[in-house]
Amino acid sequence: MKILSTSLVKGLIGQVIGTALGMGFMLLVRLLLGLQPWKPEPVWVVGSLFGVIAFMLGTGVTNDWLKWIQGEETPEAESHYEPPIGLQQILNISYDHKVIGIQYGITSLILFAIAGLFALIFRTELISPGMQFLIPDQYNTFISLHGIVMIFGILVGVGAMMNFLTPLLIGANDMAFPRLNAFAYWINVPAAILLLSTLFLGGIDAGWTAYPPLSANLGKMGFAMFFLGVYVFGLSSILGALNVIATTIRLRAPGMTAFRLPIFVWSALATALIALTATQLIGLSFQLVLFERLFGMDFFNPAQGGNVILFQHLFWFYSHPAVYVFILTGLGIISELLPVFVRKPLFGYKWIAMSSMGIALIGFFVWAHHMFSSGMASYLRVPFMFSTMLVAVPTGVKFFSWAGTMWGGKMSFETPMLFVLGAISIFLLGGLSGPPNATVATDLHLHDTYWVVGHFHATMFGGYVFPYIAAIYYWYPKITGRMYNETLGKIHFFLMLPGFYVQSLVQMYAGLLGMRRRIADYDPALGLQIEHILITFAGFVIAFSILIFFVNLVVSLRRGKVAASNPWRSRSLEFQLPSPLPAHNYSQPIEVVGEPYDYGLPDAVYTQPIPSPTPAAAD
Amino acid sequence: MTTARRSGPWRVLIASSHPLFAKGLRSLLQKRPRGDVAVVGLVSTVAEALDTLREHRPDLVIVDYDDEVFNRDEILARLVEGEGRLRVVLLSLGEKGDEAIVYDRRSMAASQIEDWLEKWTDTHAPSQLPVISIRDVESENAHPQRRNYMKHYLTAALLVIILTAASIFGLDRIRLLPVQASLQAEPIDFLFGIEFKIIAFLFALIVGLMIYSIVVFRRKPGDTSDAEHVEGNLKLEVLWTLAPLATVIYISFLGAQVLGNTLVPDPQPLEVKVVGSQWSWRFEYPEQGITATELRLPVNKQVLLRLSSTDVIHSFWVPEFRMKQDVLPGGDNMIRELRVTPKEIGEYKVRCAELCGQGHANMRAPVLVLSQNDFQAWVDSQTAPVSEDPVVRGDNWSQQYGCRACHSIDGTEGVGPTWKGVYGSQVQLADGSTVTADHDYLLESIRDPGAKIVQGFQNIMPPNIAQDMTDGQVEDMIAFIESLK
Repeated sequence: MKILSTSLVKGLIGQVIGTALGMGFMLLVRLLLGLQPWKPEPVWVVGSLFGVIAFMLGTGVTNDWLKWIQGEETPEAESHYEPPIGLQQILNISYDHKVIGIQYGITSLILFAIAGLFALIFRTELISPGMQFLIPDQYNTFISLHGIVMIFGILVGVGAMMNFLTPLLIGANDMAFPRLNAFAYWINVPAAILLLSTLFLGGIDAGWTAYPPLSANLGKMGFAMFFLGVYVFGLSSILGALNVIATTIRLRAPGMTAFRLPIFVWSALATALIALTATQLIGLSFQLVLFERLFGMDFFNPAQGGNVILFQHLFWFYSHPAVYVFILTGLGIISELLPVFVRKPLFGYKWIAMSSMGIALIGFFVWAHHMFSSGMASYLRVPFMFSTMLVAVPTGVKFFSWAGTMWGGKMSFETPMLFVLGAISIFLLGGLSGPPNATVATDLHLHDTYWVVGHFHATMFGGYVFPYIAAIYYWYPKITGRMYNETLGKIHFFLMLPGFYVQSLVQMYAGLLGMRRRIADYDPALGLQIEHILITFAGFVIAFSILIFFVNLVVSLRRGKVAASNPWRSRSLEFQLPSPLPAHNYSQPIEVVGEPYDYGLPDAVYTQPIPSPTPAAAD
Repeated sequence: MTTARRSGPWRVLIASSHPLFAKGLRSLLQKRPRGDVAVVGLVSTVAEALDTLREHRPDLVIVDYDDEVFNRDEILARLVEGEGRLRVVLLSLGEKGDEAIVYDRRSMAASQIEDWLEKWTDTHAPSQLPVISIRDVESENAHPQRRNYMKHYLTAALLVIILTAASIFGLDRIRLLPVQASLQAEPIDFLFGIEFKIIAFLFALIVGLMIYSIVVFRRKPGDTSDAEHVEGNLKLEVLWTLAPLATVIYISFLGAQVLGNTLVPDPQPLEVKVVGSQWSWRFEYPEQGITATELRLPVNKQVLLRLSSTDVIHSFWVPEFRMKQDVLPGGDNMIRELRVTPKEIGEYKVRCAELCGQGHANMRAPVLVLSQNDFQAWVDSQTAPVSEDPVVRGDNWSQQYGCRACHSIDGTEGVGPTWKGVYGSQVQLADGSTVTADHDYLLESIRDPGAKIVQGFQNIMPPNIAQDMTDGQVEDMIAFIESLK
């Protein structure tokens, strides 16, 4: 019965009650206005909005703030638990960044599993021409939800890494704003529920990009839930980013100057800067469509002078930089892990750090490359082609620097390293398949084909999924105090890597030959049946490998070998702490006196404890 | 006192905390053909060095000048204080290679060292002391790594070249693009060719280096030592920033040029108005006065497509023509143009490339590229006087306006209700009532599709399809539907 009194359950009950109250409220308002009371969309939207607020109140994550408003004092946000972090911490609100990081992580894995399941469903449908067991409407809903749920799984996973790692890597005990941190996590839960509720409220059929006028079609109420869900998710992203920036700027250990930061923190900072400044735009663009649906404000309604291209500008102004939110974090993990397993300093540290900032900056000037065939002013395509191509420069610096790091090293190939190497090669494939899209002339052929599907799946897998998995394996001993199973980890890798290569390369190939994206059925005359069978088969191989991954994570919790404090002989701060990490990160204050990646200098010191200046004053 | 010792080989002590330095130097010295040098010890701390000095009494101490751990000032101070004849060589592997310093209470530049050694041997032990050529030792020692790396570089470069060649060869063997059926496709395919080659090279470059590193620079079992401490290389970083920059600017420049090539207008193109609706295409030839659901084009004549949509965004794409253009709703302001010059006679399909709802996958229409004569013959047949029979005319309109993309005439279930046998039948509506499908019902359903919805169907028929139809055309259509028993 303990489970019923957890924050999660309280929140969910709150959401149900809140939704019912909100719906009742809206019915009442409509009745008083003399309208027909039951109109599904406005009633559901207001209900859902109430539901989200009630969820947050129900969990109690806002309690301290409410007390402050009333002028009450609350105790400092501290972590009180015995490591390792267990179910009790995960299901309840906690202000500890490690717990929040794990909560983010588990949520992201659940979202990935759901979105992956959607993919398996429509991939099975596509295994041969003709409709098998879905109708086109369901197919469209599944591809749209696959896209958006994956994206939010990734954003939540980014949150996991940034929250768990940033304070540990910079020698801080927690994030700058622990309560805000908890709030930013918990609001993801009702948002995910809203997003998934579209399945039962009419579906969505415009893809995750939800271009109006298609997404303004009032026949599909799912869109309202979709827009609302994304909006709430966006709030989480913005708040999380704010916290990361404040933490990185304010809470570094003494002596940790900019160029002594672990490289992941640089990418987290670049990521957070993008998320903080760009997320508003997707919120805005979706809000405008929502208002068009609810209030008849014809922002994008061509019949009333609205402009359908305007939406695409607003949408991509966020959604392109968002891609860099995903991959910069992942590339940060690659750069962070590589020196440990190569036993050599990161080659060109400053260049890699600056390349992250460079990518973040250039990322703001490239959005219209998604619109080369959209019908925006024709001449605009040329400057956006040049700006987009520039992204290749800082990205290239990363690849060459990684190659430089490996050269002459002493590499070992534990599972995290395998995933890092896999990530580099797949991200390379994704990166190199980019320029043909960036070049207007060739993009006119490639746009909205399976080439693009193959391209962005490669960037996502190489730039995010593989590094994320590497990070989970790498820090698993720090989180749980146990080692994962190395054999299962290797099986996972050697299934997933070829599975992915087959899937992605065949997708690109099919796209070149004329296979359009997002079609529920394809013309047998294209002659691409074998390709579709291969893609589907590869998809199932990847899914199976992920299943092994999950089994490994769960079984090793109890059965895994007890982990040493520093199984990778890493120089990083958190590996100097015991496994699992103590509730209070750095009870002994430390200062940074050296470089983070000085492998190969036996006596180089990175950090040392700060001797207490006045021991007598301790009590 | 030293006579006895001089009869044996030179006794050398190597002091460095870098095992690679010390062991490398030792193996070099041991390989000396005269066999006149014996390395009596490798030491890595000052304390060890002093112990070994006392115990083995070497003739020469070689100290790693760049060693940050090994404190050379301290050991020099100790050695100067010591007794006995002892030479010390401070050997630098740094880039300032001429800083090898020999110490016997003097220091000198590398060029002077050999002279000094000669002199020194002359004075003290003309016949028996070997000349340790510092220049030899230094060059042998400072470059083994460089030389080793040179071997690595060459092998890796070879691997990259082989991988590049293999992938370009492989890409060449498989058909990567559909038939090239338009003039505009030529420069585009040319650009594809360049891009694929660059991709093949860069993929081979990074993956080749990775594979080489994985195979060659793997950690030996049981080895817990770190690799060499290399933090970076400014020249390399600048190189691999500027080289990609130049490459992408070049590709962008080519891309802009090719784009320009595809946009070159002909003075007198054939104009076709393309109208996309959920989920059908309609093609209007204003000069010829033809409306059709198939796009027929004469070969080798530029066609100017003027694209518009009646509902949501669609996208016009014939893969064989290579180019794509979104089809936008919003009236005359939002009409977009696409210029294509078909160059291969054949049958293709236009496919909607922008997700537009449930019928998106099947939103395609035939594209027939005909010889000039065939095209003219088709135009003539279409512009012949229309039939006297309203049923035949209705059949015509229903095809031209794309009605039959959703409504079948053979009883097949489509997105909309079938027309077969509908006239005069009892229709079950979505609100539960029943109506007779008579003339007035059909008229209303065409003019105002949302007024009565048949059970099991959605209100998705675009009302603006019928807006373009005259009353006479609608009457013809009803006559045609009536004929479908």
